[in-house]
Amino acid sequence: MLEGINRIGVNEWEVPVGYTPGMRVPGRFFLSESLCRTLEPGAVQQLANVATLPGILKNALAMPDIHWGYGFPIGGVAAFSVDEGVISPGGVGFDINCGVRLISTPLLHKDVAGRRDLIDELFSSVPTGVGAKSAQKVSLQSLDGMMVKGAQWAVNAGYGLERDLVRCEEGGFMKDADVRAISGKAKQRGIPQGGTLGSGNHFLEVQVVQEIFDPNTAKAFGLTLGQICCMIHCGSRGLGHQVCTDHLKTLEGATKKYRITIPDRQLACAPITSPEGIAYFGAMAASANFAWANRQIITHATRQVLAKMFRIDYEEMPLIYDVAHNVAKMEEHAIGGMRVKVCIHRKGATRAFGPGSRDLPSDLTSIGQPVIIPGSMGTSSYVLLGTQHAMDITFGSTCHGAGRIMSRTQAKKKLSGREITQNLLRKGIIVRAHRENAIADEAPEVYKPSDEVVNVVHDLGISKIVARLSPLGVIKG
Amino acid sequence: MSFEEISHTADVKIHARAPTLEELFAETLKALMQVMYGTTSQGEIKREIRIESGDIESLLIDFLSEVLFISEVESLVFSEASLRINGLSLIAELKGEPFDPARHSGGSEVKGISYSGLAITHDANGYMLDIIFDV
Repeated sequence: MLEGINRIGVNEWEVPVGYTPGMRVPGRFFLSESLCRTLEPGAVQQLANVATLPGILKNALAMPDIHWGYGFPIGGVAAFSVDEGVISPGGVGFDINCGVRLISTPLLHKDVAGRRDLIDELFSSVPTGVGAKSAQKVSLQSLDGMMVKGAQWAVNAGYGLERDLVRCEEGGFMKDADVRAISGKAKQRGIPQGGTLGSGNHFLEVQVVQEIFDPNTAKAFGLTLGQICCMIHCGSRGLGHQVCTDHLKTLEGATKKYRITIPDRQLACAPITSPEGIAYFGAMAASANFAWANRQIITHATRQVLAKMFRIDYEEMPLIYDVAHNVAKMEEHAIGGMRVKVCIHRKGATRAFGPGSRDLPSDLTSIGQPVIIPGSMGTSSYVLLGTQHAMDITFGSTCHGAGRIMSRTQAKKKLSGREITQNLLRKGIIVRAHRENAIADEAPEVYKPSDEVVNVVHDLGISKIVARLSPLGVIKG
Repeated sequence: MSFEEISHTADVKIHARAPTLEELFAETLKALMQVMYGTTSQGEIKREIRIESGDIESLLIDFLSEVLFISEVESLVFSEASLRINGLSLIAELKGEPFDPARHSGGSEVKGISYSGLAITHDANGYMLDIIFDV
């Protein structure tokens, strides 16, 4: 382990106050002994930087998929006092509400195995990659609707089922969205991109439920062994990117105005209750809603393809759940025996609320929140269950994915897209992308093994493994 | 003048150097286009950008963010820029061509230009920087 880090539990490590000047609370991260080899000093420094921000409560946290990002480390979680704390785009990222959802189907493995035509059809129905434009004609008015009502707008517009909404974090939209805080530039970028997947690590994957660890919970979530599911991973596209760019600039000024000392300019921030903080929060919520609408439109396109190709009913493909990975939200948490309203930042982390939490759908209140953890291309994805222990130690948060260990530069040097595609095909996984680089960039080898990351959160008890899903086909940007 | 991509786990980190500040900005623009579109383009479509910022790093970030915006909403791929920098303001003339999926799909969308670790420095040989693009 790096010098200056203390071990405080089997998989728990502490970055003590004083590791970097100005820390107000300790940093804490969760890693197994073997995953410690992948820890970068830059990521620990970023975690320590977060601990210097005003109003931070308890600990600056990082999940086992911690890696070096910008501003917060990826896998970073921090809660701030609403009265004394700050809000920072560095704790959310450019891709606001990049998130993931899982849809189940009545199909079985044998129905889709080797069906390249399914992957081809999904690839042509969902716009992917750099420069891709929406198949929908979105008016400025519709864009406002997407930003205010998120997935609810999409369902009202015919892109889904009313019951999808209860299976989304926040019911598919944040009520604090303020479209007045969205620039004309952000709107211009959003209009042609509703319902597009994007590029990078975004994907749509056809998966099979390979293993069930907790049959009762799997049943409550709607998952059965051998069932085919579709996982969608994407975010707020250019609209969210522009909102982050615009508000970083405003918040740079605010950081100076409110005399806040920050160790990294990407942590530009403002008091949560300041006009600048309120404007960023409203714009960020509107971008998050755009992302929920976006994932809902892609869900609709996916269901249409499956319904047509396999003659199944659109309504037989319920949404298991939809979670945000990059977001700031107001939540209530127990701190020192009191219920306290906090502004929580999750950057590359997933909400994992335990049983009894208010935001859960009524049929899952006594069980807990479904947590969707995508694997890398070719490796398993997982469905987990949120726990009380997560409420106690991580503000109801867990990991968001496998976490990269190899840079894109190394990946391109070491791996060829064609070779990876062939290797995956030998394992029965069909990959479609616009370019070979996209495949090399996101090859299984560039990520930590998802099994190991998920085992750490399971052993810690901040979420519990319910089911493992294996990929059968993937489309990428 | 040159730029190279250096290893960064999550994102793209670029190291660029050039004899003058103007050329350094132009070189970073080329790196951005290379990352996004995977190829250097040609073309005669011109766009002018005028930016004023509070410090030199912000000037670069605001310039590149504006290029990202224009490139995306107008579907243009830029190949070069000639710049005039006067204190903390710049005028840039960009040259490029329309986005063509057949030739320009070899890259990865850049979501934003990060301040993390950005410092523009100079020595006897000219100017240099490291910058992170979020992809």
